[in-house]
Amino acid sequence: MPPKVNLEKCDGCKAEQEPLCEQICPGDLMTLNPETKKAYCRSLRDCWDCMSCVKSCPQGAIETRLPYQIGYYQAKLIPLMGTNRITWTCIDLNGKVERFSFKTRND
Amino acid sequence: MEKTQIGLYLCRCHGEIGQTIDLDRLAKAMGNKKGVSVCRIHPAWCSEAGLAVLREDVEEGRVNRVVLAACSPREKEIIFRQAAESAGLNPCLIERCNLREQCAWPHREEPEAAYRKAVNLINMSLARARQAEPLDPLVFPARKAVLVVGAGIAGLSAALDLAAAGVEVTVVEKEAFAGGKVARFYRYFPRFCPPGCGLEYLMAEIRKNPRITIYTLTEVVGLDGGPGNFQVMLRQRPRFVRTEACTACGKCAEVCPAERPQAGPLPVTKKAIYIPEGFAYPLAYALDKEVCRGENCGLCAEACPAHAIDLKAKEREFSLEAGAILWCTGWQPYDAGRLELFGYGRYANVITSLEFEHLALQCGSASGRLLRPADGSPVRRIAFIQCAGSRDVNHLPYCSQVCCTVTLKQVQYVRKLAPEAESYVFYMDLRSTGEYEEMYRRVQEEGMAIFIRGNPAAVEEDPASGCLTILAEDTLAGEPVRLENIDLVVLAIGMRPEPGPESFIENLATWEFPSGHVQCFPFETQRRGLYVAGCAQGPMDVAGTVRSAAGAAMKAMSVISGNFTLPPAVPVVDKNKCDKCKRCMEECPFGAWSWDETQYPAPDLRKCRQCGICEGGCPLGVISLRNFTIKQLTGMIEALDMEFLGRGEPTVVAFLCINDAYPAADLAGRQGLSFPPNILTIPVPCAGAVNMSVVVEALTAGADGVLVGGCPSDQCHYRKGSDLAETRLNNVRETLERMLVEPERVRLVRLQADDRHLFVMEAKRFVAALRALGPSPLKP
Ligand SMILES: Cc1cc2nc3c(=O)[nH]c(=O)nc-3n(C[C@H](O)[C@H](O)[C@H](O)COP(=O)(O)OP(=O)(O)OC[C@H]3O[C@@H](n4cnc5c(N)ncnc54)[C@H](O)[C@@H]3O)c2cc1C
Ligand code: SF4
Ligand code: SF4
Repeated sequence: MPPKVNLEKCDGCKAEQEPLCEQICPGDLMTLNPETKKAYCRSLRDCWDCMSCVKSCPQGAIETRLPYQIGYYQAKLIPLMGTNRITWTCIDLNGKVERFSFKTRND
Repeated sequence: MEKTQIGLYLCRCHGEIGQTIDLDRLAKAMGNKKGVSVCRIHPAWCSEAGLAVLREDVEEGRVNRVVLAACSPREKEIIFRQAAESAGLNPCLIERCNLREQCAWPHREEPEAAYRKAVNLINMSLARARQAEPLDPLVFPARKAVLVVGAGIAGLSAALDLAAAGVEVTVVEKEAFAGGKVARFYRYFPRFCPPGCGLEYLMAEIRKNPRITIYTLTEVVGLDGGPGNFQVMLRQRPRFVRTEACTACGKCAEVCPAERPQAGPLPVTKKAIYIPEGFAYPLAYALDKEVCRGENCGLCAEACPAHAIDLKAKEREFSLEAGAILWCTGWQPYDAGRLELFGYGRYANVITSLEFEHLALQCGSASGRLLRPADGSPVRRIAFIQCAGSRDVNHLPYCSQVCCTVTLKQVQYVRKLAPEAESYVFYMDLRSTGEYEEMYRRVQEEGMAIFIRGNPAAVEEDPASGCLTILAEDTLAGEPVRLENIDLVVLAIGMRPEPGPESFIENLATWEFPSGHVQCFPFETQRRGLYVAGCAQGPMDVAGTVRSAAGAAMKAMSVISGNFTLPPAVPVVDKNKCDKCKRCMEECPFGAWSWDETQYPAPDLRKCRQCGICEGGCPLGVISLRNFTIKQLTGMIEALDMEFLGRGEPTVVAFLCINDAYPAADLAGRQGLSFPPNILTIPVPCAGAVNMSVVVEALTAGADGVLVGGCPSDQCHYRKGSDLAETRLNNVRETLERMLVEPERVRLVRLQADDRHLFVMEAKRFVAALRALGPSPLKP
């Protein structure tokens, strides 16, 4: 299920013409609403749920809902990016929480 | 690269540290950590004996990096820096670990906890030291030349001060004549002397001084570069009269057929080619192109015996280089037309206090009698209205400081130029500060005016006589007042800044005047090397203006005498990873960023104040201040034992702004206040320098809470750092909440430098809250 942008948190990446979510989306689906200057996904059907935009958003403004094949609505997968580490929180339909942490950089 | 050899120096501080923390045990535990080649304990490393050991270790090649586990990094800095330098060690390779103010002192009652905290603090310092780079200050060549914009009292006196210090000064003035507002005043308070006198003195000195060049009719149209060498583009409008040749004989004006409305309320006609009444510098006519009939007329050029007139003169642009710039563009009167109820602009006999100066000058130098603007009849009753458009949120919210004293001066004009006339003053509060109180006393004692406390509600005109009626309430007597047959109403209007600098600098101040922090950096603007002085800085009298000019001149000296040097902690962008999102450009409070020739963002190091707000804001974490890198911070976090006080005891990583929050924590320690040892502090240049990925890194590495200490919103040294930190932390908190992690684990506290009790309270409360929450769900 495609990304949902929290309009309170999204700041349109400030002056950026192409916000970070737009830059990173492999399907070129994220873009800015010219009026509100907030991001949205312009073709919900085409989203692959790769979560690149979620990880890239500096404001933590994007959330994805999991595709139904993986988990029904209310299940969530949320990444949190540190400098050397990414931590995923997975909350399933019943509210059960699991977390996974990975090193992303080894320099 | 040279092998890392860290000297770890543990300081007993004459027992201040040694009594609480078991340093022998600490030395045993830390002495064989990675990279540590020497580990020593001394009663006081800052003593001559201590420094000698340190120097010898460096000189003998045993040590090429130093970790000093001793007092706060805010203490004894120069001593250690000099010792290192004299032994040939770059001072950036000294890492200070605060075992005294933030460990031994506050945790005196808990030696075991203090010991364990010390281990963690040293581990962090070692991690930081391993990645420290030797750096030298940045040095920019500076031109010993200053551009002064505006030739009012501020600009002229700053120019003299600077020239006396051997500086080449260029003054540019947009009008045809120098002197600014006071040149058209009748008299100065407090001594009642003619302003021309003071100006003549200044000009006489300036004429004698070959280091000062004044360009009139000139404005700044472009500005580039930075402190040390600004490149300034100037545009000079033609005067049409060659000042060198003109003798000011006035033959041109005699023949000129075109008339020019003269500034001032009395309808005096001036010619298109003119020279001002009273003080005139340069002493040469100027031609007003707006009203001149053009080359076809040419009567003046024919009449001029000196052949000084060139009607074909053209505008010219030229550039110059300056090491610093003083912005002395002064003030503008508040637009009295916006004060409808006082009838300004509708009634000819309602004028502003500035116009009253012109009127008094005209009348004073003509008949010596005060006349009404409307019909030139003598003034018999005159009313002054104070705070006209000032201290009013709908107009100017502030007090312009001089208007009350100006009125006390102007009622004396009335005494002099219309001795029989009655003066009334409507006021809210009379503010005659300092020695000006004496004027107030004299005016009252000699009965020069009747003071009515109350802000008039309306001014009405009798069209037949031109006389005015004022309706007000006397708030002291509590009754309405109706003053009739008033010949002249003078509105004591406030001051606004002259527009101009905003094309080159963003105003960081809390009001229209582009000054810096009122107490700490009054002359600073957003742009380093560009300083404001005189009324460009805020409303002030001439005495204040002269003081302000001297202060700003001193500021200019600080960047142009010798080379201009800056500390080396500048931001560096990793271009390989930057995706040009431009957030650094947007968020930098000093507009330091622009695109470089490879189309990547690059900071102008002379504009940068090294706050690190760009580092804190970069979404990819690819900007780092040198020696305050994200990599170093990550290394420090990784070096921590997140359960150092035992299971169940929370660990807090606290990023404290070095300007205020960190000193507050130091002060708590110095005063023997105890706070929980759970708090491990990392000094940061500004709360805004903390990147959220570092905060997340701390949490996911096992910290139970993260504290960021910034300044109160309006006190941030970098204007918006702590507010940015708040926004960013709120975003993280919201994400944590969605992940079912308690958002309270991340917290911003705003501290002033002396808020030690608040720091202790916040620390205790935070640790208690974390204890209640239990271990963080993000702990690995
Ligand atoms: C009615 C009135 C009476 C006063 N009487 C007294 C008094 O008796 N005693 C006293 O101590 N104070 C008095 N003051 C205060 C006094 O006017 C100021 O302190 C003084 O004018 C400040 O000087 P300045 O050089 O800062 O500004 P200004 O006098 O405003 O001079 C600024 C100069 O910069 C020039 N300029 C502006 N913009 C540009 C630009 N973009 N480029 C180039 N040049 C530019 C202007 O043309 C001007 O020459 C009075 C104020 C008022 C309102
Ligand atoms: S990356 Fe985040 S802040 Fe930037 S436009 Fe996309 S949703 Fe908004
Ligand atoms: S360190 Fe501060 S002043 Fe320097 S470029 Fe970054 S944000 Fe701007």
